[in-house]
Amino acid sequence: MKIAVCVSHVPDTAAKINIGSDSKNIDQNGVTFVVNPYDEYAIEEALKTKEKFGGETVAISLGGDANKETLRKALAMGIDNAVLLKDSGFRDSLSVAKALAEEIKTQGAELVFFGKQSVDYDSSIVGQLTAELLGYNCISVVISFSLDGNKITCEREIEGGKEIVETALPALITAQKGLNEPRYASLKGIMAAKKKEIIEKQPVAAQNYIEIISMKKTESKQAGKIVGTDSSAVPELVRLLREEAKVI
Amino acid sequence: MIVKKEPEQFQNYLSDASNYKGFADSVYIPENEPEIIELLKKFNEQKTKVTIAGNGTGLTGARVPEGGVVISLEKLNRIINLSRKEKFVIVQPAVILKDLQDFVEAENLLYPPDPTERNCFIGATVATNASGARSFKYGPTRNYVVGLRIFLPAGEIISIERGKYFANGLKGHLITAPGKEILFTLPDYYMPHTKNAAGYFCRANMDLIDLFIGSEGTLGVITEVKLKLLDLPKSLLSSIAFFKSEENALDFIDEARSISIRASNNQSRSPSHLNASALEFFDQKALNFLRPDFQNIPGKSEAAVWFEQDYNDNDDSIITNWINLLKKYNCDEDSVWLAINKNEREKFHEFRHAVSWKVNEFIAQRNFKKIGTDVAVPAQNFRQFYSWIKKKIELENLDYVAYGHFGDCHPHLNMLPKDEFEYQKAKQIYAEICAEAVRLKGTISAEHGIGKLKRESLLKMHGEENIRKMAALKLIFDPNKILNIGNIFNENFLERV
Ligand SMILES: Cc1cc2nc3c(=O)[nH]c(=O)nc-3n(C[C@H](O)[C@H](O)[C@H](O)COP(=O)(O)OP(=O)(O)OC[C@H]3O[C@@H](n4cnc5c(N)ncnc54)[C@H](O)[C@@H]3O)c2cc1C
Repeated sequence: MKIAVCVSHVPDTAAKINIGSDSKNIDQNGVTFVVNPYDEYAIEEALKTKEKFGGETVAISLGGDANKETLRKALAMGIDNAVLLKDSGFRDSLSVAKALAEEIKTQGAELVFFGKQSVDYDSSIVGQLTAELLGYNCISVVISFSLDGNKITCEREIEGGKEIVETALPALITAQKGLNEPRYASLKGIMAAKKKEIIEKQPVAAQNYIEIISMKKTESKQAGKIVGTDSSAVPELVRLLREEAKVI
Repeated sequence: MIVKKEPEQFQNYLSDASNYKGFADSVYIPENEPEIIELLKKFNEQKTKVTIAGNGTGLTGARVPEGGVVISLEKLNRIINLSRKEKFVIVQPAVILKDLQDFVEAENLLYPPDPTERNCFIGATVATNASGARSFKYGPTRNYVVGLRIFLPAGEIISIERGKYFANGLKGHLITAPGKEILFTLPDYYMPHTKNAAGYFCRANMDLIDLFIGSEGTLGVITEVKLKLLDLPKSLLSSIAFFKSEENALDFIDEARSISIRASNNQSRSPSHLNASALEFFDQKALNFLRPDFQNIPGKSEAAVWFEQDYNDNDDSIITNWINLLKKYNCDEDSVWLAINKNEREKFHEFRHAVSWKVNEFIAQRNFKKIGTDVAVPAQNFRQFYSWIKKKIELENLDYVAYGHFGDCHPHLNMLPKDEFEYQKAKQIYAEICAEAVRLKGTISAEHGIGKLKRESLLKMHGEENIRKMAALKLIFDPNKILNIGNIFNENFLERV
């Protein structure tokens, strides 16, 4: 069986993000990029599935040369092959899904893992769109996955509880935290990954239905004010709450 | 300044991570240096005991008051000045170590001392001469302190830079800010050739700044620290290797240690040479302790080593050298984790931190005090010493975990008593381990310091005569006996001088 896992290369969630001068992109200066954290669960599940049932794994990423770093990490963790769909401009979720679906078709993968969302644009929809384009069954936000012959059983998180869902291959699964504990790359994996080639391809063109008009940072909170540290400060505090903050 | 007078407001200042508990009348939180001076002068006149609080992560009860008042320096937490060009940083004492490290790293600089717990105050790491994994290559906090401002109990100030004031033989001479002369004699006891945080650093003709580093707040209050920085290495290899047997892991460390020491001593050696900056060990019990939180630990492994090497060129032969050494000791390459980026390096750090932390939690839940060794011995005695300790504890049927800075021959063997009987037994074994370390020309405390929990061991290490000399030295700086009383030696010694 061929298993595909789609991975994105995103700013580290701890990074301080500034908006670029065109106000349509982020300023990448000084920002470290990492494998999208949810995709690490997807990679791990692909590897575990292969270890159990055999087959071949391929990681696919759409983006610029920098995405190779994320693909290398997937290879170092143990993924067999990597494909970079090389593109630099902005693509909305549907356009990304079209490119990925096309490549998954080319690869002939019957089982596909995605992260439940990419922590850059946070649209949480690329997996589902891709499944739809491929005509695959889709289970999203999965916290447990098992495969038995053709049958897939998953647990997924829903508001206030869990849901158990069954489906069949071909299928696309989006991974939620808790699905597994992603492995670290092994020394052997790193050396092997260095030798592997990342295949570069031109993704299919697709129209964007979404245009970014401008990006804005949320206003930062103003610093707090300490009026005093004992009871003598109470009258002043009450006055400020009434007259300045107008909350009482 | 905040003053806490109600005991329920300041319970958290009455213990530290060792779970040693004390008592005090009130807690003062000054916001600037003049307020500290004012407090010191007042309490010095009243002869009220003052204990200085850092961030409370100490493992010896050093910041725990036994009466009097606590002065917490937590509000003095500014980074004052960083010089990229001259590679130094000047900080107030309550800057958190982790914050400082991140701050200098953003400037492409490195502050090497890295005690496993990085949520501690810089001033406290100077007071305890803290060290960590990287001290294997880079040495302890002492090696990076190039300037200190110290307030004495009477309110006088000593400003001291490294390389300026030396002892004349064992005679010391310092001048305080209002111009008072301080004359003193240094004790001359044997100082082990290991990492060491046991008692005052004393040596003929020493740089006098070293006397204050590791003095556990008994000589003065540190209010400003100037630290030397290094260039940040370009690459860092960080890896956790799992071994089939403890023997294999220990042999691996022995060889990596000697190759690394040779490489560091011989700068001309090829840069691709294996040269560890850290060599940390975990025994099987420590791994089992971690398994609930780290499910990926390979099932069959009986020991692990976390090693790091920093280097400046992008040379894969370093990795190949490590792989070869690992293979030599039967470590299978699939069971070697490698951190790919800073996030993952932090996770490895957390792996190491979690053992120490979980041990402290175990002890606190059962209301005992920590009984973990902080001994270190010279390398040639280390293996024999380590297996002697293990046998001893196993013979007594006590549960324990063993881990630590094995690059520095510095094992943290923590006993995990289930009840009072076992706790008493563990304390006795602890004393025997310390005695054996001293016999092997090692130290009873390589990094945590003495505080209040290890005074007895220090007494055995140096003998009464030398402890009395330490007490005499303290009295020169603190004649009214107010500052951090009970640290390093028992209060009685201050009476008997
Ligand atoms: C999980 C864990 C792991 C640890 N690992 C290590 C390790 O690897 N290496 C290591 O060295 N330590 C280690 N420690 C111990 C501890 O982190 C260090 O001793 C640290 O230096 C204490 O810092 P603190 O701010 O918490 O100080 P505190 O515990 O609050 O105080 C320590 C001592 O410093 C004195 N002091 C504090 N500030 C000043 C000042 N400005 N002037 C004068 N005296 C002052 C206090 O009076 C006290 O005597 C570990 C602790 C924990 C909990």
